[in-house]
Amino acid sequence: MGGSAPRMLTVEETPTTKKDRAASYAFLMPTVILILILSIFPLFFSLGLSFMSWDLSRLEGGVRFIGLQNFATLFSDGRFWNDAKNTVYFVGGAVALQYFLGLGLALLLNQEIHFRRFFRVIFLMPMMLTPAAVGYLGRMLFNESMGPINDIIKHLGLPVVPWLSNSRMAMPTLILLDTWEWVPFITIVLLAGLQSLPPEVFESATVDGANDWQILRYIMFPMLAPVSITVILIRALEAFKLFDIVVVMTGGGPGTATETVTMYAYTVGMRSGNLGYASTIAYSLLVMVIVFSMIFLNSLRGRAAAAEG
Amino acid sequence: MMQLTWQQTKKAKSFITHFLLGLWALVCLFPIYWVLITSFKLPIAVFQGPKYFPWIDFKPTLDAWNFLLTGSTSAAVYRSWANSAILATSSAAIAVIIGAMAGYALTRFRFYWRGLKWKNNDIAFFIISQRMLPAVVVILPYLIMFNFLKLIDTHLGMILAYTVFNLPFAVWILRDFFAGLPVDLEESALIDGANRFQAFRSIVLPLAAPGLIATFLFCLVFTWNDYLFALMLTFSKASTLPMFIAGEGTQSYGPQWWYLSALSLLSIAPMILISLLVERFIRRGLVVGAIK
Repeated sequence: MGGSAPRMLTVEETPTTKKDRAASYAFLMPTVILILILSIFPLFFSLGLSFMSWDLSRLEGGVRFIGLQNFATLFSDGRFWNDAKNTVYFVGGAVALQYFLGLGLALLLNQEIHFRRFFRVIFLMPMMLTPAAVGYLGRMLFNESMGPINDIIKHLGLPVVPWLSNSRMAMPTLILLDTWEWVPFITIVLLAGLQSLPPEVFESATVDGANDWQILRYIMFPMLAPVSITVILIRALEAFKLFDIVVVMTGGGPGTATETVTMYAYTVGMRSGNLGYASTIAYSLLVMVIVFSMIFLNSLRGRAAAAEG
Repeated sequence: MMQLTWQQTKKAKSFITHFLLGLWALVCLFPIYWVLITSFKLPIAVFQGPKYFPWIDFKPTLDAWNFLLTGSTSAAVYRSWANSAILATSSAAIAVIIGAMAGYALTRFRFYWRGLKWKNNDIAFFIISQRMLPAVVVILPYLIMFNFLKLIDTHLGMILAYTVFNLPFAVWILRDFFAGLPVDLEESALIDGANRFQAFRSIVLPLAAPGLIATFLFCLVFTWNDYLFALMLTFSKASTLPMFIAGEGTQSYGPQWWYLSALSLLSIAPMILISLLVERFIRRGLVVGAIK
């Protein structure tokens, strides 16, 4: 094949696909072209921007190559590190809480229950709602003087909680609100995972005298591992991007106690008009996401290998 | 005797299960109930501390709704609602059409890209990986690109941005869906002389209708709910409902819960309707199968 012109993307020539080559390009190319232009190109553009000073507030002379200066600024930028810490705290707290709650709900829904359809429809609802509106819901519900949650707590004779005004409480409150919205996703995926497990395994374990906890801990949980890993990864990647519900519920406050990396990139890019530094911040978020995925998947693979060995 | 105690534990377990499920249903519904009743409250019923039951501890009024739909901001409300609807439906429809083609191609043809030794699965993974990256990374360059192309604050620009945002998801789901469809029908059509496009349009797409509808609904929800893209790429002509909601709350006079609740319901209500439709598709394992 040495003499043939190099082709970008070739279709393997089997009898059925030979005449379809033109068609196969025509079917796939719209997607590939759109993604190259509006996803891959911007990705490199953004990387380039992170080495530039691109200032929207100055009309002329605003664009300048400044090498690694943005990255140097980033390393000594206390606000960025605060926001990175907030984001990681949020991801860890929210995903852990959502996973165990979602697993519990999936196990409950997997029993023989009445009104199954009703529960499933209701449980699904929160994740469909507009996050900006959910942010408002959170602001109303957790409002310390006019909101129902503190009122109910008061009626139960417990001390009221400074949900949003205390800088140590604001992040846990945000995690609770995000959990309300996103537990449904984990629940439906894990439920489908549970329903795809072969029932014979559990029957024979029951015959062998295993109790419910043992079945859950030693049989179901390991068998659910692949689905769990996927669902945790998807949820964590989404959680890293946290933006809308925070903007509306706390605006990043009190102070910068709940400000996230995406919010900071937005503030630097749109409010201050410094697109170069904003891209540096955005790229650092991309790096965080990639590093997290690699560590997460590698540690699990390592553990799986250790378990097998 | 043994039999009886076993029966009793089973009953107790079932009771606890239903109790917990009921409790969580309450947790899911209460915030929605709260936003609904707050939209019928007068300011005084908000500021006097929480009131839970209309007609019992507060007198419901239509004031907030009247103001929302006929007051000074009503034109902006209608415009952002219409913008949200136009952008969400059109970008979801385009993503489903283009995504269906790619999903079909990835299940029926064998691709091989020599440069990276990529086969179908690698291409599919590359496409879905675009969905995983933080949107803010691509939105900042969009700002410059759209500015240059005069696409800032236009429907066309937003439809393009949302289509690309939804496309990876659509391809991923539909690829899985087409993989589960039998090829016999389209093959016999091909043998009868139809070309691929004819077979795709007249045989494959009708068979895939449930998957196409479900994917369309999910893309619709994602776009309808977006805030970040709209915030950064629009300011008035093409701005959407979430932007309007967020904008109203940061006013200096402070949030007016009654009005904001009514406004939030305009955004939430269509999504509640869609979640009733979508549940049926999720039950079939459609979406979940694709996640694995």
